[in-house]
Amino acid sequence: MIENLKKNYSLILAGLAVLFLVLYPQLGARSYMLHLFILFFTWAVVAAYWNLLIGYVGIYSLGNIAFLAIGGYTSGILSKIYGLSPFITIIIGGFVASMLVTVFLGLPALRLRGIYIALLTLIFADMLPSLLTQTRDITGGGMGLHGIPGFVPGMMKVHAYYFCLAFFVIAMIVIYRVINSNTGLAFVALRDSEDFASTLGVSRYRERLKVFAISSFMTGIAGGFYVHSLGDISPTTLSIEPFLLGLAMIELGGVGTFFGPIIGAAAIVFGNEFLRLAGNLRLTLLGALICVIILFYPGGLMQFISQAGNFISRITIKRS
Amino acid sequence: MESFANALVSGLISGSLYAAMALGLTIIYGISRVFNFGHGVIALMGAYIAWLVNQNAVSAGLPLLLGMFVTVVVMFCFGIFIYRFAIGPLMKKPNWDISTVLFMLGLGIMLENIVLQLFGPRIKSIPVFLSGNLRLWVIQINWHEIIVIIIVILAILFLNLFFKKTRTGQAMQAVAQSVPGAKVVGIDIEKIFGLTFGLAFAVTGFSGILLSTKFFMNPHIGWSWMVTGFVIVCFGGLGSTSGTIYAALILGVVEALTTLYLGASWVWPIWFIIFLIILLVRPQGLLGGRN
Repeated sequence: MIENLKKNYSLILAGLAVLFLVLYPQLGARSYMLHLFILFFTWAVVAAYWNLLIGYVGIYSLGNIAFLAIGGYTSGILSKIYGLSPFITIIIGGFVASMLVTVFLGLPALRLRGIYIALLTLIFADMLPSLLTQTRDITGGGMGLHGIPGFVPGMMKVHAYYFCLAFFVIAMIVIYRVINSNTGLAFVALRDSEDFASTLGVSRYRERLKVFAISSFMTGIAGGFYVHSLGDISPTTLSIEPFLLGLAMIELGGVGTFFGPIIGAAAIVFGNEFLRLAGNLRLTLLGALICVIILFYPGGLMQFISQAGNFISRITIKRS
Repeated sequence: MESFANALVSGLISGSLYAAMALGLTIIYGISRVFNFGHGVIALMGAYIAWLVNQNAVSAGLPLLLGMFVTVVVMFCFGIFIYRFAIGPLMKKPNWDISTVLFMLGLGIMLENIVLQLFGPRIKSIPVFLSGNLRLWVIQINWHEIIVIIIVILAILFLNLFFKKTRTGQAMQAVAQSVPGAKVVGIDIEKIFGLTFGLAFAVTGFSGILLSTKFFMNPHIGWSWMVTGFVIVCFGGLGSTSGTIYAALILGVVEALTTLYLGASWVWPIWFIIFLIILLVRPQGLLGGRN
């Protein structure tokens, strides 16, 4: 009963949040705030699908920013140089990211466990910047790729906002369906007890390939939306700061929860702007934040919210 | 021929430096099964402490050796501190493998930026032991590099002796083989893990000094040292000390030859391919122990 109530509450809250996001630009929002929201949409998708790997399947991937970069670069190059429509190139970017990741990470990861996967994915992401400098003619090298066309000719921030919002909602529905399907159950079963799951007929190989394919495809598409909204991408996307931001989002929000990465992404994207006041100390504070959460509050914000929710429901039940 | 021979020698030299650096990683993983993702910045802190001592104690004579000594002591205490207050409590919780990884990553980035705040982004260098070159037939070696290699070999011999002959070292090996077994014979696991972290941080800080005398140092270089170390320990087999040393020498030579024939920017892609092949063909590494 209480479970059901909670589910309904969170559905209503999610609906209200989406309604607010749809109406927000009409309330006379400034272009800067729209920019932040666009960042939030793409980051929330990246964090959510990263969390799918880490939190639901227990694959310690540290290379998800590379998926974003591959999708973003592919889409940016195709639309800028060959003049294809961004809506086609974004999908192609997703497929390219998915294919590369499945071949270079997914297949080796079938034979590997725990820390080896973390190393493999980290080194994969770390190798990309030097590949980008090698292919300077197409990718722009260290300077990055500039002047990437928008979704529609003469695009304004509001348009980009709505495209990214639509993508965000779709991506969240997809991940919700995946988590609550048989596949999601298989993921969690593999995470909790691999031997037991295998005896029940869950194929470790198939599920692992599946999760790599899904996660990299959606993250690659998020990369496409990112570049077409902002207009440029450079190897700094693969530097330490975005990587740290992504991890901080998952940790702060709550590992292995559906709403965690979204809340974490909101807190980090908007909080990061305030942290700009701290100047160079920003990364120090982010690193410290990750350490403190892991040491003292491993459930993140979601744990806080559920504790608060339990507290409230206990009070109301007592009164009735 | 001449350039090939020189590349080979310089590859072996940087390989032995990498070996010294990767040893700290192997020691921690081999004994406590924690993978240190803050490894690079630990090495970096060592280098900066030595630099600081060096700046302030030039007149004291043998400043570099003094800096090394101070570094080793400070990093040893730091390692015990980190284990006692962070890693130790984390290891008692579920999912400790990923939480220690993320904790060390966060800590590493925090420390890296503190170093950046304290010392600034400019490149710093530690003076060499001896200047001048030694010429053997067609091969040219710095006297400094010869001394560095001797130091590395001495350090490895010393570590070997420590693990084989002392009670603490033997206890560490016992813990590496089996934690329950070590508990049964009455080894204090907490103490051994703490000492392991101290020892590994000290070795890592020490190797940071050697690396920064050969190359250069700025607050961000630790990251690339660390990823280099990751490839090496995987190549050699996680937790295998001798595997790490062979792997470091092989990869050092590969790096030098790649730089000679293809250019420096190809080093990383080629290392990644080697890494991938190793993981696919022989995931336990060259001399991999148990997994």
